[in-house]
Amino acid sequence: MRWPGFFSLGSAWLALLFVPLVIFYFLKLKRPRQRVSSLLLWYQVINDQRVNSPFQKFKRNLLLLLQLLVLACLVLAAMQPYFAAASPHAKYQPVLIDCSASMAALDRPGGITRLEAAKKQVETLIDNLLPDQQVALIAFHSTARRLTDFTDNKRILKEALAKLEVAPVRSQTIDALRMSQALSRTVPIERVLLVSDGNVPAETDFELPFELVFEQVPPGGPNMGITSFNARRASGEQWEVFVSVEGSATAESTGKLELFRDGSLVGSEPVLLVPGRTKRLVFRLETGTAAALEARLTPDGFDSLALDNIAYLQIPKGRPLSVYAPSTLAAFRRALQVQKGIDLVDETKALPGTSFDLIVSDRPEDMKLESQAALFIGFVPKDLEKLVSIAKGSIDVVDWDRGSPLLQHVLLSDVTAVDQPKIADGVRDGDFERLGYSILAFGRTGPLLLEKRLGARLEYYFLPHTDHSTLPYRVAFPILAANLVEISRVQSGLSEVRESRTGVLPQLQLKPKTAYRVTGPAGASVDVTSSETGLLNGVAAPALGQYRVTEGGTEVARIGVSLLDSMETSLVPVRQLQFRENLQVAATSAVLDADRPLWPLILLIGLGFLLVEWWYFQRRPGGVPT
Amino acid sequence: MSDETTKQFTTLLDNSILSRLERMRINPRRRMTNRMHGEHLSGKGGTSIEFSDFRDYVAGDDLRHVDWNIFSRLHRPYVKQFRYEEQMSVVILLDASTSMTFDGKFDRARQLAAAFALMGLFSLEPVSLYSCSRLGSLPAICPPCTGRVSRTKVFKFLEELEGGGDFPIEAAVETALRRHRGRGVAIVLSDFLTFGNLGRPFNLLFSAGLEVFAVQILSPAEREPELTGDLRFVDSESDISLDISNVGELLSIYQERRLALETELDEHCRRRRGRFLSISSDDPIEWLLFDLLRRKGWLR
Repeated sequence: MRWPGFFSLGSAWLALLFVPLVIFYFLKLKRPRQRVSSLLLWYQVINDQRVNSPFQKFKRNLLLLLQLLVLACLVLAAMQPYFAAASPHAKYQPVLIDCSASMAALDRPGGITRLEAAKKQVETLIDNLLPDQQVALIAFHSTARRLTDFTDNKRILKEALAKLEVAPVRSQTIDALRMSQALSRTVPIERVLLVSDGNVPAETDFELPFELVFEQVPPGGPNMGITSFNARRASGEQWEVFVSVEGSATAESTGKLELFRDGSLVGSEPVLLVPGRTKRLVFRLETGTAAALEARLTPDGFDSLALDNIAYLQIPKGRPLSVYAPSTLAAFRRALQVQKGIDLVDETKALPGTSFDLIVSDRPEDMKLESQAALFIGFVPKDLEKLVSIAKGSIDVVDWDRGSPLLQHVLLSDVTAVDQPKIADGVRDGDFERLGYSILAFGRTGPLLLEKRLGARLEYYFLPHTDHSTLPYRVAFPILAANLVEISRVQSGLSEVRESRTGVLPQLQLKPKTAYRVTGPAGASVDVTSSETGLLNGVAAPALGQYRVTEGGTEVARIGVSLLDSMETSLVPVRQLQFRENLQVAATSAVLDADRPLWPLILLIGLGFLLVEWWYFQRRPGGVPT
Repeated sequence: MSDETTKQFTTLLDNSILSRLERMRINPRRRMTNRMHGEHLSGKGGTSIEFSDFRDYVAGDDLRHVDWNIFSRLHRPYVKQFRYEEQMSVVILLDASTSMTFDGKFDRARQLAAAFALMGLFSLEPVSLYSCSRLGSLPAICPPCTGRVSRTKVFKFLEELEGGGDFPIEAAVETALRRHRGRGVAIVLSDFLTFGNLGRPFNLLFSAGLEVFAVQILSPAEREPELTGDLRFVDSESDISLDISNVGELLSIYQERRLALETELDEHCRRRRGRFLSISSDDPIEWLLFDLLRRKGWLR
C-alpha cells in the first residue's frame, strides 16, 4: 500500500490552529439564557436523549466537530498531499506528442482522433502537476517543434495543447528526442514522456541519455489508404500509372479507386483488400502534354483515416531526349541513333548555354555544357588528376558493379584497351569517395569507370577512351548506351514520375539564382531563391495537395504532394522502440503513473463539510408534533 | 344604572360568571362527607325527611321508625329508613411557587380557586384555602368558612395572594393536611412540575378522606415550546442552569415527557378515585368552567 507524501510538510504547523478554534468555539458558545418555570421536563429530555442515542454527546458539539473537520481539510490541503508515483519524481519533464498523420485516425465512427486521446492523457498529466514540477510540450511528426518552454503554468500548457493539430506527415521521433537532449543541457531531465499511437519508426539511431516512457494511446479503427502512386512511360505518349492500396483491417475490406486527370475521371477500379496484403492497381494513360493526376480512394465501410485516401502526381509534358555527342565519337553516335525518341546533335549545335539531357563526350571542354546526365570518356577530371593518371598499357577489368543502372546487363570481362588508368601511390578507394566519386568498374591498376553526382546532374567517367578499347565491338556497348539513355530519361523526368510526399518538396532543377514563389494548396505562399546550380530544395510541404512554383507569375512547375506512407496507413503500432546499444523501450497503454495531488479533493471535502455545517446551523427547528 | 349594580365582586371573575357559578355545584364521584349535618346525603341511614328504604325490624331498633301501616297489613314489623345529609369539606390548594407565576398560570389558578370556592360556599360546605409559596414558611390559609357571606373573605384572600417561591407541591399538600380536618374534596391547582414524589401527596389526600380534583395548569410555552439553537435554561425556582444544544431537535422528546407526566398524574388520581385535568393558562375561563368541567362531570 502506498502512503501519501506531503509536498509542504511545514504547513503541518497550521494544525496548531485547532487550539484557538476549540477555545474560541467554547468562548463564543455563550448560550442565550432562557428562564423556564421548571427544568423537570428538560432534565428528563436530556436523560432520554442520552439513553436513546449513544451519539448524542458527540452530536451536541456537532458544530464544533464540523468546524474541526473543515480546519483539518484546510491544513491537510495546505500540506499538499499527493500519492507518489511508482516512478521517481521528475522535476522537469518534456512531453513529446506525436501529431503525425496516423494521429488523425478515429477510433470509431464519430469518435475522437488519436491526437485528441493523446491530449486528454497529457491534460491529466498537466492537472496532476505538483508545485515543483514543470513540463515542456514538444510536438513532432517528421520534424519536431517546441510548443512551450518548461513551465508549470497550466493555462499556457493547455492552450498550447489545444492549438496542436495533426499534420499529414509521416512520423519521426529522432528530432523530438534530440530536442529533449538539447533541453537536458539546460535543466536536469530524468524522464521524457512520449505520447503516440505507435506509428513511429521502431528503430531509432539515438543514444538515450534519459528514461523514455512510451505511452501509447489506443490504436485507431480499420483503415484503407493509398501508399504509392507512380507513373512510367510505356512508349511514346503511353503512360502506366501504378497505385498501391494498403489497409489495417483484420478482415477483408472493399472500396473503389478512381483516377482523375486534370479533374476528369479517367479510370475506376474496385479494391478488394485482403488483410496483410497490398493491392496494386495499374491504369493506362495516353498523354502528350503535362497532366495533373489525382487518385481518390473511397472505402465502403468505416475508414478511420481520411488523409491517405487521396494522392497527387504530376506527369510532365512528353518530348524527345536531347543528346549531345561530338562527331568524333562515331561508335557512340551510332549506338545512340538507333534509340527511339532521341534528338542527337553534334558539336555544331552545342553552343554555350545550351542545355541537354545527355552528354557523351571525350572533350574536357564539354564538361561546361549543362545536362541532366553525362558520360565523359578518355580523360581524367581535374580533381582526380592527383589520384589517377592514364598511361599506355593494356587493361584487364577485374570487377564492376553489376547493380549500377549504367552497368545492368553489361559484361566487361573480355574488354581490353591500350589506355591504362594507373592509381597514384598510396591512394585508396576512400580517397575517391571523399571527392564524391564512386568506382563502378575496377581495373588491375586503377579505376575504369567512376560515377559522381553533382547537384541534380549525374556524371560518369570512363577513363580509357572507348575508341582505344574493344568495347565498341562487344555486345555490352549498345546495352551500355541504352542504359545511359534510360538513366538520362529518369534524370530528366521523362521516363518515370515518382510520387512526392508531404514534409519537404522534392528538389527542382530550375534557373540558377532565380527568385520563385511556391504556393501551397491552402493558398499560403513562400518566396525562395534557387541555388547557384539551379536547385530549389528545402521547401516545406506540410499539407496535402498541389504546390505551384511560379517565376514572376508564370508557372514553372507543379508538384502534387501526398501522404503515401504505409507505416501511417497501416496503423499497426510498434510495441517497443529500439535505440542504440540494444536499448529497448516498451509501449504502455496505461497513463503515466504520475504523482497525483490530493489537495483539490481534500478542499472539495472541506467545502462539503462547510456546506453541511451551514445547513446544520441554518436549518429550521423541528420536532413539534402536529 | 347605578355604580352599585356594575361593581365587580372580585377582580378575579366577572359578575356574570359569578352569578352562573352560584347555580352550579361541585360533583364529587364519592360521598366523602363529614358526620356533621350538611347538604350532602349520606350513604348511611339518617334523620332527614328523604326516604331511603325498608328493612326488617331487629331488637333494639327505635320503635319510632317502625312503619305501622305496613305492620297492620302484613303483621310484620318493618323499619323505615331515611337518608342522612352530611357535610362535605372543600379544600382548595393553590401552588404559589415561582413556576406558577409564568404566563398567567397563577392568575388562572386563582380564578379556578375562586370558582370552586364560590360553588362550595353556595352549597353551604366548609371551604378552606391553602396557598404555599416559600419552603419553610407557613402557608397562607383561609380557614374553613361557609355560606355566601364568606365569599368576600374568600375573594379577598385570593386577590391578596402573591406567587413566587420554591414550595414544592408535595410538601405543600403535606403542610395543608396537617391543619385540615374533615372529609370532602381537595382541589389541587398546580403545574405539578416537581422533582419530588407525586404519589405521596395523592396518598395523603386519599388517606385524609379527600377526593382529589387535580388541575394541572401549564402555560402555552410549556405545552408547545418553540425554541431552537443552543440555550441555557435556568430554573425559575432554584436558579439551576442546564445547557442544551439543538433544542429544536429535542422538542419531540419534550412532548413525550410532558404527556408522560400527564399520564402519570392521571394514573395517580384514578387509582385514588380522583380526577385529573390538564389545561393551558390561555384557555378561556368561561369555556373551562361552563363547558369543559361540566362535560368532564366535575361540576353540575
